[in-house]
Formats: sequence, C-alpha cells, structure tokens
Amino acid sequence: MKKKILVEGMHCASCATNIERSLKKVSGVSFANVSIMTKKAIVECNDKTSDEDLKKAVSKAGYKAISIE
Amino acid sequence: MDKENKTGKLEDEESKMWKKKLIWSWIILVPVIFFMYITKLFGFMLFDESVMSVIILVLSFPVIFIIGLQTLKSGFHGLLSLYFNMDSLISLGTVVAYLTGILSFFLSIQNYSGVSAMVMAIFVTGKYIESKARGKAGQEIRKLLEMGAKNARVLRGKEEIEILISKVRVGDIMLIKPGEKIPTDGVVIKGESSIDESMITGESFPVDKRKGDNAIGATVNQDGFLYVKALKVGSDTFLSHIIELVEETQSSKVPIQKLADKITAIFVPLVLGISVLTFIAWSFFGSFSYAFGAAISVLVISCPCALGLATPIALTVGSGMGAKKGILIRKGEAIQTMKEVRTVIFDKTGTITKGKPEVTDVKISGDTTKKEFLEIAGSLEKLSEHPLSKTVVNYSKLKNYKTVNNFRILRGKGVEGIISGKRYLIGNKSLITESGIDLKKFSKEISHFEDEGKTVVILSCETDKKAYGVFALSDSVKEDSAEALNELHKKNYCTVMITGDNERTAKAIAKVVGIKKVIANVLPEEKARKVSELQSESKDGLVAFVGDGINDAPALKQANVGIAMGTGTDIAIEAGDIILTNGSLMGVPKAIELSKATFSKIKQNLFWAFIYNTIAIPLAVAGVLNPIFAEIAMALSSITVVTNANLLRGKRI
Repeated sequence: MKKKILVEGMHCASCATNIERSLKKVSGVSFANVSIMTKKAIVECNDKTSDEDLKKAVSKAGYKAISIE
Repeated sequence: MDKENKTGKLEDEESKMWKKKLIWSWIILVPVIFFMYITKLFGFMLFDESVMSVIILVLSFPVIFIIGLQTLKSGFHGLLSLYFNMDSLISLGTVVAYLTGILSFFLSIQNYSGVSAMVMAIFVTGKYIESKARGKAGQEIRKLLEMGAKNARVLRGKEEIEILISKVRVGDIMLIKPGEKIPTDGVVIKGESSIDESMITGESFPVDKRKGDNAIGATVNQDGFLYVKALKVGSDTFLSHIIELVEETQSSKVPIQKLADKITAIFVPLVLGISVLTFIAWSFFGSFSYAFGAAISVLVISCPCALGLATPIALTVGSGMGAKKGILIRKGEAIQTMKEVRTVIFDKTGTITKGKPEVTDVKISGDTTKKEFLEIAGSLEKLSEHPLSKTVVNYSKLKNYKTVNNFRILRGKGVEGIISGKRYLIGNKSLITESGIDLKKFSKEISHFEDEGKTVVILSCETDKKAYGVFALSDSVKEDSAEALNELHKKNYCTVMITGDNERTAKAIAKVVGIKKVIANVLPEEKARKVSELQSESKDGLVAFVGDGINDAPALKQANVGIAMGTGTDIAIEAGDIILTNGSLMGVPKAIELSKATFSKIKQNLFWAFIYNTIAIPLAVAGVLNPIFAEIAMALSSITVVTNANLLRGKRI
C-alpha cells in the first residue's frame, strides 16, 4: 500500500533524512522517501500500518504530518 | 480539479514566516551592530563596557530566543532525540555564543553574544532567500495545479447551470464558450472549435476538434461553442495524472546522489563531534576565547542543506521544465542513464508513423467479385483488434457481416476463419506463402507497394489454394519524424527502426526519415529480445527504446531508457521512464537534451556542495573564520545551489 504524507516544518535536507529514518522504523513500512521539494513523504507499507503510527513517526522526528492520503 | 495546492501553500507560509523573522531580527540588529562596532570604530565609549555587554545581551535575547524559538525547539528536539538536523547546529552555535556574553562577566573570555544575534539573523535571511528560490524551482508544478478550471457550466435537464468543478460528474454535458477552459476530460458531442493544448502537450498550434474528438481538461477553447460530455473527473483526469507523475519524479532519487545522501545522514553528528574536538584542542593549545570562536564557527559554517538540496532541486527544475514541453520524466534515474545512451531504437507504427493506416490500393484476381472480396475480408478482420484489421474493416464499409466459424488470430501474421464452408486466410505475405498458396499473380504489385513503404494485406482461400486479392495500406510518416531523427544523427546517435512489417516496407519508411538500420519481421513478443541483443552489441553505450506504452511495454522495460509515446489523453503511466505526451518525435532529442542539462546541473551542485564543506569546515577548525563570516558563507552555499538549479531554465529545450 502506498501512502503520501504531507509534512509541515521541513526546511532543510537533513530534516528529510530524519523523517525518512523515523518512518522506516515503523513496523510494516518497507519503503520511505521524503522530499523537501514536495514536502511529502511517500511510504510503502502493509495494511497493518495505521495512519496514526505514521503520524507518530513524523512527530517523533520533530515534524508534523498534516495529511495522509 | 479538486486537488489543492497544499505543497505550494506550505511553501508560501514558510517563506512568509521567514520574511517576518528576517524583518524583526534586522530591526533589532541595527542597534546591536551599532553598539558592537561603531563605538569601537570611532574610539569612544558611550557607556562602560559592562553596561554595553548587558545592553547587547538584552537586545540579542529576542533574536535568539523569540525569533529563533522554532529553530531552537527543533534543534534541541533533534539533539535530545538523536534526530539531528541543521537547526541543531545553529541552535547549539547561537546559544553557546550567547552564553559567552554571560560567562564574560565571570571569566576573561571574548563576548560572542552580539555575534550570536547576527548569526541567527543571517541564518533567517538565508532561509528566506532559499525558500523563495525553492518555491521558484517548483513553479511549473504550481502552475499545473493552478491551471485547472474552477467552474463548469453544465446542462441539467434543459437548464444551464454553473457549478464548481468538484461537482461535475461523469456523463455531465458541459457547455464551453470561446476563450473558456475545458473543465474536465471528455468527448466533444456537439460543436466545432479549435483547442489550445499547449499547456499540456507543449504543441503550440491549436488542435481542431469536432464531434467524437477528445477534449482535455484545462486546455483552452479558442473560437467555437463546444458541448463536451465529461468522461473523467477529479483525480482521474489527464492533468491530475501529470501532476501526480511529476510530483513522484521530484521525490525520486538519482543514483549519483547516494553518496551525498549518506553524508547528509551522518553530517550533523559528525560536525558536532568536530566542533567538540575543536573546542578541546583550542582550550589546550590556545585560549578559551579562541576555543569558543572556532567551535561556534564550525557549528554554523557546516551546511548539510547544500548537499542535500543539490540533486532534488535540480531534478525539480528539470522535470518541471519537461512537463511544460510535454516531456514527463518518470524516474530521476533516467536523467543519469540518458547521458550514456548511444543507440536509439524506434518502433515504426505509431512512433515514426502516425499509426493510422489507410487503404490506398486494392488489387483483385478474377476468382472473385469486389463485393464478395470485401465481404469476406471485412467479416474476418472485424473480429480482430489489430490496427491494420480495423483499417480494412473501415474500408470495406459493410452493413452486414458474414458469420465466421473457427476464427483464429495468428499473432504477427494475420487471421483465419471459415465462411460458408470455405477456410480463408487474411494477413501478411508469410502467412499466405507458409500455407502453400502461390502469390505469383500478385508478385509485381506486392513488390511495387512494398517499395512505396506500403503494408500489404492479402486475402486468400485455403480451401481453393488461391489468393483472392491484395490491400495496400499506407501509414504516413509524422510531419516532424525526419527532423527529429536528423537532430539525433547530427549528435552522432545510432538509430534503429524495429517493426513487425516486412523488410521492403520498413526500409522504404526508414529511408524517408533517414534511419539506416532496420530490423523487420519482428513479432511483438520478440521486440524486447531484439532490444536486449542490441544492448549487448552496443559496446560503447546504452540503448533507449521509443515506442507506444501499451504494445511495447516489455521492450520499453528492457531498454536502459524507455521513452513512451503518449497518445492524447492516454498516458501509459506504468511503462517507460520518460513519457512524451504530444506524440511528436521531436520530444526524443528534447528529452535527451533536458536530461543531460539537468544531470550536469546536479553534478555542478554536488561538486560545489562538497567543495564548500571540505574547505569551509577545516578553515573554521583552524579558527581563522569569525562566526559571522562562517554563517554568511553557510547561507551563501545553499543559496548558490538553489540559484544554480534555477539557472537551468535558461537552457532552451
């Protein structure tokens, strides 16, 4: 399953790396790619991964997930 | 389009936020600078030195702790949670610098509190300029997002009502006046006009539209009234697909950035370590004052941003420029692979040619009447989906079709079936000769047609062992195919044409466009294998394949770079690394140019970012840089990378 997360608060390249690292730790996530240009995280996960988990991972790295689609 | 431009909104908010911070920090900084330097310059003191220190501390406080609050929060969160970022460096640098102002009351060390405020102000200024430039880099996709129509005028019963675009349903009849945008993808059901599709296909001439033609949402109706039935709405539209695709490309990775990404990931902790070591070393061998200065400089000069932004920003500008010209780069990787490509393989039908064959000649033997000939041919071909079959069906103009039994498709050759007890074959030359039917009576005509680049379809009766007649089909070459190939030849690309057609027909077409190497008689499923053969033959470079996204999907995948030709609103999203939306082969040399230009920008950016950090950090360690200059250098380095990427726009594609 592919999910797109819009992230607020990213303003440097290491921010993107941090969010990527945090998202990859969520169970069920097999792929995460965060772009500072689009301010979006693209996550490949299975259906057991909840949006809540993803949001938590983003805030753990210090950023805010605005929406998940 | 109910898609909102959320990224753009965030971008705007961000740059507004930085701007506010920038203005306030400099307002406060003016007196700070005055007290720090002017008094020293003119050699008189307004106040006692300790009073001055207090004033500077008081003035700097809001710059660091109010204006910089967000940065500090994010930075210290990073330090505590081990998710280090750029803010961690700036936070630590400015807070430590500020604290020296307090420490200086008790120890004899240099007071960096005024410097800390300047560092923060420069940081904020740099971020503002950078966020503006980043917004500019993404301007094409923002334009795409803003391009969709806001409202639509639809017929409900007999009434015309204006509704929001998000309320349009599939099947609604939309009325579009001259000068208005087509609200969403659909088909023209009434009216005639021309539509300017340049925003989507890059094609500058308006395209004539009449009943039955497709209309793409967001394109502009020129001079007539049109009634268009909505076929796709919301996220299914062509424009939505393009936006989706470009966004995905912009967040995809280019192999060359791997090293930069790895460094970015460990950069901040690494710099923290270097800074601590610098502090310790200078404390031992120099003085505390020096130690603070050098350690702060190391923190604020290091710039992971330049490294991390180098690739994505250039990719964003490049893919955005492409999208405007009808070149959709699907994978960032293709940009890097493209520069190694030396051979370009073209599919013939639909790629070099228009893919809309027409029957130009018919030759019939004396064994049948024209009416019977067309009846048999039309009835057989009616059951096949092949473009050539459809052409024959259209030509035969039958009202009633005969019943066909035991119908079979012989892939890449033709079809067979039984009509009124007789077995017929219709298809290419090899189909007929393989079944032992003599073609001698048509041989002169067939070679004549083939020399003209026409495709020959032969109807024969297997029961009677007789050939009944021949259709000659011509698929004309696209207007600019020859020009596109000429461009490629000028740049010394090796070009190859691959086709299921026979050699003579293929060569005739190849000659028109100037292709020397032709691989003919290739069955559809063999194309990918032929591509792989050419890959192993082509020793000095990689191979690109240009073909349509549906039939040639395996070949597109096999090639190092697959370039899919989109036809109208149908973009085969899954196949191809690059998609050309306007069907013109000129897109191929353009896509190559664009890829090369984008890739060289990426290389330049990475080079500067690497060089900057490898020179700047040692200088800061050596203690030769004042933290203020260190911060200016840092801000300039990321601004340079972002601005350099925007310079790509100057390249004419």
